[in-house]
Amino acid sequence: MKIGIVGAGFMAATHAAGWAETEAKLIGIVAETTDEATSLAKEYNLKVYPDLASMLPDIDVVDICTPTHLHHEMTLQAAAAKKNIICEKPLGRTTAQAREMIEACRKAGVKLLVAHVVRFFTEYALAKSSVMRGEVGKPGVIRLNRGSFRPKKPAGNWFLDESKSGGILMDLMIHDFDYVRWIAGEVESVYAKKISTAHPGAPVDYGLVILKHRSGTISHITGSWAYPPPTFRTHVEIAGDGGLIEFDSADSSPILNLVAKPSSDSPDVGLPSSPVSESPYTTQIKEFYSVLLGEKHSRIEAEDGMAAVQIAEAAIQSAATGKAVVLESLVEVLS
Amino acid sequence: MKIGIMSFAHHHSEAYIANLRAVPGVEVCGVADEDSARGQRFAQAHGAPFYPTYEALLESKPDGVIICSENSKHLSLVEMAAASKINVLCEKPIATTVADAKAVVDVCARAGVLLMTAFPMRFSAPLMEVKARLDSGELGQVFCFNGTNQGELPTKHRAWFVDPTLAGGGAIMDHTVHLVDIMRWYLDSEVAEVYAQTNKIFHANEVDVETGGLEMITFQNGVFATIDTSWCRPPYWPTWGGLTFEMVTERGAVIVDGFKQNITLYSHANQRPVWQYWGSDMNQAMISEFVSAIHNGREPSVTGVDGLRAVEVVMAAYDSARAGQPMKIQQTVP
Repeated sequence: MKIGIVGAGFMAATHAAGWAETEAKLIGIVAETTDEATSLAKEYNLKVYPDLASMLPDIDVVDICTPTHLHHEMTLQAAAAKKNIICEKPLGRTTAQAREMIEACRKAGVKLLVAHVVRFFTEYALAKSSVMRGEVGKPGVIRLNRGSFRPKKPAGNWFLDESKSGGILMDLMIHDFDYVRWIAGEVESVYAKKISTAHPGAPVDYGLVILKHRSGTISHITGSWAYPPPTFRTHVEIAGDGGLIEFDSADSSPILNLVAKPSSDSPDVGLPSSPVSESPYTTQIKEFYSVLLGEKHSRIEAEDGMAAVQIAEAAIQSAATGKAVVLESLVEVLS
Repeated sequence: MKIGIMSFAHHHSEAYIANLRAVPGVEVCGVADEDSARGQRFAQAHGAPFYPTYEALLESKPDGVIICSENSKHLSLVEMAAASKINVLCEKPIATTVADAKAVVDVCARAGVLLMTAFPMRFSAPLMEVKARLDSGELGQVFCFNGTNQGELPTKHRAWFVDPTLAGGGAIMDHTVHLVDIMRWYLDSEVAEVYAQTNKIFHANEVDVETGGLEMITFQNGVFATIDTSWCRPPYWPTWGGLTFEMVTERGAVIVDGFKQNITLYSHANQRPVWQYWGSDMNQAMISEFVSAIHNGREPSVTGVDGLRAVEVVMAAYDSARAGQPMKIQQTVP
């Protein structure tokens, strides 16, 4: 199985590291400039392509690690060429885009796997299985926090361009929209606020979202781009009628580093660091590889990726209008 | 100075007796309770004179009373105290309807007696520290809050806390007011709008009121805030619950846990970890303020209007939970 990655940013690098742990052959990457791709190409001995069209004939699977607004067009292009597809989250910039991507892949008979990596983080996967075993009963109130600093990319920061990334509600908080839906089921209504609505020029952003699930569970989702670098914190609380699960990245980190740093450099994007024997990004790629081989069922379907986009899109709408947004059921969206 | 206690329906009454006695020059001059057996029991336990009726207690002319009845009965006791020209500290929430809350404020104003709402978090040392930093300007402009006031099912203390009539509601009624008051205090702005979702999944078969609640509040100055009011803590949680908030400003965030000052005790007797609080006693500071305000004939730092404003948010939250959309709040003029 021959793999090609589109994009050469930090997510492309984590996927490349994952593919290196499989029997699949990662053969190339698409990059706008060769500069950007040089180190990655050198490390994994990859051919650098100028565009997706020129890479498609050489590969079986396209792994899309580009900015969100490009996912739709590239997926349609890859599906037309009958290639299986792995796509970074969010699946699309809008629900309509995600729906078209799913339809195109269904018609072409190719797989579409969306990389919601949080489902592969050990602590999140453990909490999910604990809930599934009934260890906390029926979830009543779920609280998910995810906080970091504002992504800092030197030029043309697409993370901060809402038309491209969807902003904090779409880019950051979609992780927890997907996870909470995995835990508590379909979402019925969404109410959201974020700092950047009233203060587009503020140096920080922060989103607060209240979800009501069809199951009766209510959820509180928080996303922060307000902390100083290199902060990255996550917190989960799942309270049920039979118990409660709680974990916090700050409390479960096995290493407390109190050593002075040689330089003040911090990474471009905040990432979690709690060392495990296999990175969740690698676990994800390995599972997707097994799914592509037909050996395993995926823990996430393309429809789940669309549902997460739908929640995030509703949150964006709610934050803009000040009203709660009632979601269409997935069946309605797909019909 | 003589202070009396009206009703032991609320368990805080016992702590208040100890707090009163810790203030130099203050005497717990008497207690009364419509539940005579309960009143006598607590009077005896605390060595306080027992009066057979509220009227009898008020006729003894205390300088002030602390009203610790069920929420829905606050107004009738406040009316009695005000009619006797006695100053009032009223347990929160001061009423279960906006009309009653307004009446509590009005009746005291007309009688010319001092009215204070029991919002002890105003006297929390950590929260006062954050307020001081905020006022100094070092934190910059506040944008939003992410607050929790979660707890266990309060029936452990008293059964009436889950009675829709006596308490006026469940988790929303019980746990909205503290954070609303803290944020009004921090921001010096009134609440413009509230959105709420509630459910009854925790203790579903035991109670008739909501046990889960999430609210999003928007202030007139644009600051927005969530409050998790849920009774989601299991009965074997290391403590009763807690109050936390994250305050996000243009310079980052301050994360505050009002009850973090604990030691963790693992005892054979408990068979579970227990958090023993060692932070400063905010009830003590609140009671001292009540006494000081009476002594100096001035308005207390937390007023009846503060209690009214919090009740307005509670009632709008219930309206929103029914409607599924945010509700605007028009401040009542007392």
